Amino acid sequence: MQFEWTEEQDAFRHKIRDFLHAQLPEGWEKFSEHGPASPALTAFARGFCEKLAEVGLLFPHWPKEMGGEGLGPWEQQILSEEMWIAGEPRGGQYMNVNWIGPTLEKYGTAEQKARYLEPITRGESLWCQGFSEPDAGSDLASLRTRAVLKDGHYVINGQKIWTSYAGLADTCFLLTRTSDDRKKGITIVLVPMDTPGITVRQIPSLIGEGDIHEVFFDDVTVPETARFGEEGQAWEIVAYSLRNERLGIPRFTLARAALDRAVMMLKDRGDFTREYVRIEAARCAALCEAAGTANYAVVQKRVDGLAIGAESSSARYATVMAERAVCEFVVEFLPEALAGASPYLKMHHQRGIVAGVAAGSAEIQLNIIASDVLELPREPR
Amino acid sequence: MQLALNEDQTQVLDFVEALARPFASAPLHDAGLALESAELDAALVENGFLDVMAVEELGPVTAALVVEKLARLPFAVEAAASALVRPLIDPELPRPLCLVEEGRTSGPVRFLRPGATVVVVGQSGVRSFTASADQIAAAQEDTLYAYPVAFLTGLPEAMTSHDVDPAEVTRAWRVAMAAEAAGLLGAALASVVTYVSERKQFGRPLATFQAMRHRLAEAQVVTNTAHWLAMRAAATGDSADAAMALLHAQEAAKRVCYDYHQFLGGMGMTLEHPLHLWTYRLKLLTSELGGRGAQGLAAAEALWG
Repeated sequence: MQFEWTEEQDAFRHKIRDFLHAQLPEGWEKFSEHGPASPALTAFARGFCEKLAEVGLLFPHWPKEMGGEGLGPWEQQILSEEMWIAGEPRGGQYMNVNWIGPTLEKYGTAEQKARYLEPITRGESLWCQGFSEPDAGSDLASLRTRAVLKDGHYVINGQKIWTSYAGLADTCFLLTRTSDDRKKGITIVLVPMDTPGITVRQIPSLIGEGDIHEVFFDDVTVPETARFGEEGQAWEIVAYSLRNERLGIPRFTLARAALDRAVMMLKDRGDFTREYVRIEAARCAALCEAAGTANYAVVQKRVDGLAIGAESSSARYATVMAERAVCEFVVEFLPEALAGASPYLKMHHQRGIVAGVAAGSAEIQLNIIASDVLELPREPR
Repeated sequence: MQLALNEDQTQVLDFVEALARPFASAPLHDAGLALESAELDAALVENGFLDVMAVEELGPVTAALVVEKLARLPFAVEAAASALVRPLIDPELPRPLCLVEEGRTSGPVRFLRPGATVVVVGQSGVRSFTASADQIAAAQEDTLYAYPVAFLTGLPEAMTSHDVDPAEVTRAWRVAMAAEAAGLLGAALASVVTYVSERKQFGRPLATFQAMRHRLAEAQVVTNTAHWLAMRAAATGDSADAAMALLHAQEAAKRVCYDYHQFLGGMGMTLEHPLHLWTYRLKLLTSELGGRGAQGLAAAEALWG
């Protein structure tokens, strides 16, 4: 057991930092206040990801067969960390390289791979994830958006909600219902977002402009070849995708960076001498580091080729604890940060409060830990 | 970054497991909370398990793993200070090793008895002496801690000075406590999980009620991270890592101890269930080295100056 990065891993991290330093424009920090899904950041991300692709930093963790460099999960982690600390200049394209690409490779038809993989590798495409619905949030398997196969076409009707990036995405990775057989009745359809019948409405939010949307599907018609995998295979495919992206965003790194930033501001104005402030800051740092080690323990399992189970839920909950602590620290001791004094801390706060909601709520993670880590007898349903 | 156990570590832990097997369950005990076994202690010494830190291919992480594993036993063993701190001061110091902070010597001292080595750690230096009976005041018999404890009546004039940086000893002390706390947290959680999975009310196991499931799941999260932070602190030798590891462990202990007894209901009030053996050790650990606040200040100093 050892906790140091190898020389190669350190060099890889520095390569990314150097690239960011050279490529992020003057005033980036203020700019990154626009959420990762804002029009401004999405437009920036297109050019930025093209440059990442040119220097081999867009998908270095993909296997060589897919055009990547075959680097491992640690390098993917390092890449994610550095991007997220920098305010995620890849915008929504981080999803492409983390899980959409690998999932296309495994389950896509030749036509789908040809159509979708190349734009991803060029840093040009933007996807959105049509999962949650008004009546299917934590209970995702109760989703009702229906796809009916008719004359070689799927006709889709229903509504999605909380969809990030929907306003600007080219394609939706859409979960639909093709039969009433709960999980086994769910089917993925890849839907171009310019298909007639799709209406996107932005939801004003606390987490940054353009971040969440409602998406309505009214007789949206796509050819049968847009189906991804078999009918009823969605649950299996999503589980596979999540294995590629189980930990999600390395939020603990930004939380820690935000904390350091907050401490520097407090020091600058002579306010980091009060003991209770210092103790609280240390408690936040310990929670960030705790989340980091829990996340790394999961990455290690990926490195070793082991099945990743509920320990990723434990790591995610540790991350939620860290995010919450840092958000609360800033509000308590640096209230001006959210009122214009620090674009970086405001950006962190907006992203931080999402930690316990996006990609499966914190309470669902606790349910999973209770059942699958602690192996408590299950709740009656 | 390599967070899996290596072969040597797996082997050492397997040996410890085998050696500790006869001591895995608690005998009924009703005289005080402290439960010790001279036999277990002797077996650990004889097999060198408290000296693994000095073995090059094993080192501090293996020592921390051993300490954590031993802390899961119902029997209290003075392993942490001996395995993780003693090698820095003088590997030959007689056990048990009792670490005390200069200027804070009036509290209960774990494992203090005649013949024990008392190490006084202060800003000016690290000094030690072998405790004699006249320097020790016994704690009252029904002391509410599951460690054997006693009080120092004073410090002798003459002590042995050790040529070691007191800050470094304090760092190792934090690692030792964090590793021990990680084991105690793990064992306490496991024993509660077993109980609430078996105990039925309203026709179903208590563990099927979400009020309990979520709090236990949160306890799992802080217990798991207490383990990882302790191991990282042992591995890096970094003073900020050590302070954060102990801060997090002391926070975790404070968070779970009350809940665990609550979940056991009436059984949690008894000596019949062994839960107290771990929680009433954790309770004492939450006060050591100045408690959470002192760890927080130390971490802040190390991180940000």
